[in-house]
Amino acid sequence: MATRDGSSRSRLRSAAIAPANWTERLSEQQFAYVLLVPTFLLVSTMAVWPLLRTFQMSFQADALYTADYVGEFVGLSNYVELLDGTRDAVLGSPFVSLSNPLDSAVMVTLVYVAIAVVLETVIGFGQALVLDQDFRGRRWVRVSILIPWAVPIAIQGMIFWLFFQPDIGFATALLQDLGVFGQNPLTRTVDSMVIIIVADVWKTSAFMALLILAGLQSVDRSLYDVARVAGASTWQRFKYVTFPLVLPALLVAMLFRTIQSMRVYGIIETTAGCNTVPSLTCLVVSTFRAGRYGTAAAVAFITAGLVALVAMIYIVKFADLEVGA
Amino acid sequence: MSSATDEEEGGPLRRWTRDAIQNPGSTYRGLFYVVTLFFLVTTLFPFYWLLVLALTPGDQMRNIGLLPNGFNPYAFVEMFERLPFHVYMFNSIVIALTTTVIVLLVGSFAGYAFGRLRFRGKTPLLLLLLAISYFPPAAFILPLFQLFTGNVTLVTLPVVGAVQSPNWFNTPGAMVTPFSALFLPLSIFILTTFYSQIPDGLEDAARVEGTTRIGALFRVIIPLSAPGVATAGVLTFIGVYNEFFISFLMTDGQAENWAPIVWGVVNYQGQYQAFYNLMAAASIVGVLPVVILVVVAQERIVSGLTAGALKE
Repeated sequence: MATRDGSSRSRLRSAAIAPANWTERLSEQQFAYVLLVPTFLLVSTMAVWPLLRTFQMSFQADALYTADYVGEFVGLSNYVELLDGTRDAVLGSPFVSLSNPLDSAVMVTLVYVAIAVVLETVIGFGQALVLDQDFRGRRWVRVSILIPWAVPIAIQGMIFWLFFQPDIGFATALLQDLGVFGQNPLTRTVDSMVIIIVADVWKTSAFMALLILAGLQSVDRSLYDVARVAGASTWQRFKYVTFPLVLPALLVAMLFRTIQSMRVYGIIETTAGCNTVPSLTCLVVSTFRAGRYGTAAAVAFITAGLVALVAMIYIVKFADLEVGA
Repeated sequence: MSSATDEEEGGPLRRWTRDAIQNPGSTYRGLFYVVTLFFLVTTLFPFYWLLVLALTPGDQMRNIGLLPNGFNPYAFVEMFERLPFHVYMFNSIVIALTTTVIVLLVGSFAGYAFGRLRFRGKTPLLLLLLAISYFPPAAFILPLFQLFTGNVTLVTLPVVGAVQSPNWFNTPGAMVTPFSALFLPLSIFILTTFYSQIPDGLEDAARVEGTTRIGALFRVIIPLSAPGVATAGVLTFIGVYNEFFISFLMTDGQAENWAPIVWGVVNYQGQYQAFYNLMAAASIVGVLPVVILVVVAQERIVSGLTAGALKE
């Protein structure tokens, strides 16, 4: 038994040694490329190829009645018809609509992202200022602020769905009495938007807080002493010392949250449903399930384009800061 | 709070105001505790309310206040009987663990290359990895779905004919493989940072002793970067366990078909609408693995989130 075990182990070892010895003969550059092979196999098959293929599909017609996924090449017409409203009948809700903004996917997504990210920034900043203090139990406060961040999206959805069920959730009764919500808030677009934004703020403010906290802790403490000697009040110290120095970290955190919240889907699916709050990713899923692959691909790439556009705004703003500094 | 003392002391409000003006430090202190308390209540209250809901018996599900209407802990047993929620959780944990192992192994090779070796094309390759994490998952899903339902022709061989992609729909492979790629960039950034900080001398010493380069990676670099490896591992595990989009679309939702926790939740909402107590119990049990992980590994999570993001 012992000898067999030993021999199988030595065989395993020699199997590992052969390639390890082979790498000894490579130059540093060759060795680096060998190490990167698994990464680029994974990334090229699971990310680069699907992206390029989706991009290609977005120029092809929907093929509902054939064995193929997509039909003939149609140029930009998927994009054009989505943007000018010709495709709205297929989508179930308008794509872009300025007259009725909360019915249309683009506006719903942008409004959601804008409000959620601003609220998360404010609350995250507050949490970061609390965590920046030295006090007993700080560790536990940080854990409890961090826990919502780790809650699976599906369960986050379940929590807020239960919260606002008309017959049991006490939040509904309370907010109805205040006249904020209607009978069943999860079937009304505006009410549901509010719920989804609150759910998102609850879950992701901690992420903001941690990034801002890292920025706060890198501020040179002696600057505060200088400000205090110069007679600055607490508010002035915050405005003229803390805020400008934290701003780069703050912008990075906002950029990350913006990119992530542009993808909003899971929390909608598990609370109000995509008919009530049609986000862009909702449209990708519904057209994909209807077999309209060309349309789905075009919606996906318009989403990616919007993400890129918003990211550019942050990056330009960030570059301004760097130049100004 | 009798009126007599109020008059003697000038009323609690006035006394408080006077103290606040004379001693602003204690006011800030008080304000600080109020704000801290506010954040604690807002983040933890939903969990408390889930517990209230879970303990309330099924026939008392009306006008629930801050305490449960009765006491029925059997919801925590029944939730596994109505739906095999433990199987959904098991599936999620297996998928998350497998992905974490793959990401750490592949990411370690890449992190070593990016952090410790000089080669041409390093910056463009890092930028490519960064660019991939910008794209929403919706931009990947259509071809991946076709691939894993066996509908993509990989190669057309002269004799055998067309070789189709494997049908991995309803198997862990259809989730683990895309997750490994999509969560890889974050781990590579974290591991690159940690691996690049190991002094060259330590690696050279091992090499003089006769270790191969791969051996040095596994015997010197990775053990010395244990906190970094733990950080990347914890973030990947939580990320996969929490993922919604691909988990939702790559199985048909049956527990025996490797459907993850997402489907446990969706099936409860679809089939057992009225069993609010079971849903609340399932939510509590479903978050336990990640809550334990956050409590145990909070330092790692904090350093990982900040290092991973601020580096870029």
